[in-house]
Amino acid sequence: MKLVRDVLDKKLTDREDCEMGRVSGLVMQVGERSQPRITHILVGGKTLWMRIHPWIARVAARLSRMWGPKRDEPVRIPWSRVESVGKDVKLDVKARDTGALDWELWVAKHIIERIPGGGKQEEE
Amino acid sequence: MKEINAELLIGRKVCDANGEKVGRIEEFRVTNTEKACLVEGYLVGTSALVDRLSAWTLIRPIDKALRGRVFSVYEIPWEQMDLSDPKHPKLRIPKSELRHSK
Amino acid sequence: MKKILQLTLGIITSVGGFLEIGSVVTAAQAGANYGYKLLWAILLGTICLIFLVEMSGRLAAVSKHTIVDATRERFGFPFFSIVMLGIVAVAFLVLVAELGGIGLALQILSGIGFRWWAIPVSIIVWLLMWKGTFGVIENGASLLGLVTISFAVAAVKMHPDWGGAAHGLLPTMPGDGKAKYGFTAVSILGASISPYLMYFYSSGAIEDKWDESYIPMNRIIAGFGMTFGGFLSMAVLVAAALSLQPRGIDIEKFEQAALLMTPALTRWGFYLFAFSMLFACLGAALEISLAIAYFFAQGLGWSWSEDLDPSRDSRFAFTYTIIILLGAIPLLLGIDPIKVTMMSMALTSATLPLAIVPFLFLMNDPIYLGKHRNGWLSNSVVAIVILISFVLAIISIPLEIIGG
Repeated sequence: MKLVRDVLDKKLTDREDCEMGRVSGLVMQVGERSQPRITHILVGGKTLWMRIHPWIARVAARLSRMWGPKRDEPVRIPWSRVESVGKDVKLDVKARDTGALDWELWVAKHIIERIPGGGKQEEE
Repeated sequence: MKEINAELLIGRKVCDANGEKVGRIEEFRVTNTEKACLVEGYLVGTSALVDRLSAWTLIRPIDKALRGRVFSVYEIPWEQMDLSDPKHPKLRIPKSELRHSK
Repeated sequence: MKKILQLTLGIITSVGGFLEIGSVVTAAQAGANYGYKLLWAILLGTICLIFLVEMSGRLAAVSKHTIVDATRERFGFPFFSIVMLGIVAVAFLVLVAELGGIGLALQILSGIGFRWWAIPVSIIVWLLMWKGTFGVIENGASLLGLVTISFAVAAVKMHPDWGGAAHGLLPTMPGDGKAKYGFTAVSILGASISPYLMYFYSSGAIEDKWDESYIPMNRIIAGFGMTFGGFLSMAVLVAAALSLQPRGIDIEKFEQAALLMTPALTRWGFYLFAFSMLFACLGAALEISLAIAYFFAQGLGWSWSEDLDPSRDSRFAFTYTIIILLGAIPLLLGIDPIKVTMMSMALTSATLPLAIVPFLFLMNDPIYLGKHRNGWLSNSVVAIVILISFVLAIISIPLEIIGG
């Protein structure tokens, strides 16, 4: 398997086929003598902006502390939760439990549902 | 053991043990087992970039015309890559000891 | 049978390409200044779009991924962010122009200045997206857009010189005023080959749940849809050649373009022009707002669909809400929509390579398309479009300054 071609930037779906963002980054554990391994998938947070420039990541982190669900650290999903890697990456998790949908739920609750006709997110 | 962001290694220049430039990291070859996702090697060079973009249909005629001189790739086994400074990855061996992948 | 109804996706896409304010104004200017001589530019734009739109649909139907999905996945986020910045910024300018176009149409119908229409128009566009589904927007905008057939009726009624028109389908150079001629040709191409059309069409194919069985129908839809739009755009040029050129009217104000159907259809022509622009710009505004929101949502991995309640794809809904609100601001400030149109067309040409070059790679990707990858003909057309796009990119802005 090739990590950049097959995993990075791919769409993530949970066990109910709910879309939960894209793979923003990958945590790699390295040691002096041991074989490196990919331990976590990263979603959101400053991971994405760091790939462009650290300054953009700092600005994005500052903005997210003022507004929104106040999460600036990316969501970390253990690699052991990866069920399959195909056109999308399927995970054995529930999207809402991971925190990957925090922003989506925050925008729905604080903005969209306050406008007439916006509908309502399902309550869990 | 330390944690680094694999996505930030993409595009980083790799030098060999003597400081000679080898190429840029474009891809990671991994083995996904039940227990873990292990990194087997790093693909370095323009050919690796073409591979990553699945662009051989377009590039192959150009590669043939240039007699395979421009597009090259090295596969660096994990044990030969020193990532103690992730911003400056380097080989533990000289470039001459590396095998061309293509 | 159901598949043939998908023709509406082709029609709304082509309305956004050929019958929105930029295309109509440039086609009318071309006819008013050069008679039939620039019909070849519209023909070239039409042929290019038929191929590009067909490819966009094929990618979506086979891979179940949109162009934006595939661009992010294949090229990575850093490169994708450059494409996103360029395409979205220019598409936003075009949106301002289209909202202005609706305002100008209402201005000539009501006598009330377009500035006063900025807020009501934005609210209506937003409401259609907020409450409507993709099917309602697709079919509604296409049906309303059919009023633009009046351009063809007017052109035919004026008894054009068919031989002269046929001559105009081949490129020629004028005796003098080459810079302005070049600028008009570039504007026509820039107005018609707009990247947002491709992004909208591929997203629409996913909204309409296309699969591989739609591939033959996709060819018909792309071909018919773009031909419909291109043909009507040529009708605008011919009508302008017959009604405005003999009177020496050079279109500097939108109201002058409104005269192009009056010789054939009298007072009706004036109103038909206004309603045609109203509905065509409305269709284009919906298309562009959706295209921009799709770009963000697909690129960043949010939920998206016009068929979902806004709370179920909140970030997507929030994006188009903000875009439409921001789009009204330049108009409220009284900025002339025609000037915005001219600038947006030059910038569309300048940013075209950003969209088309990655697209060439995607259409040859065996992982996304398998055996449905581009053949030599499609690749050749894309290569020609890339060449045209680089030429346009280099000369459009200088020409805008010199010849505009």
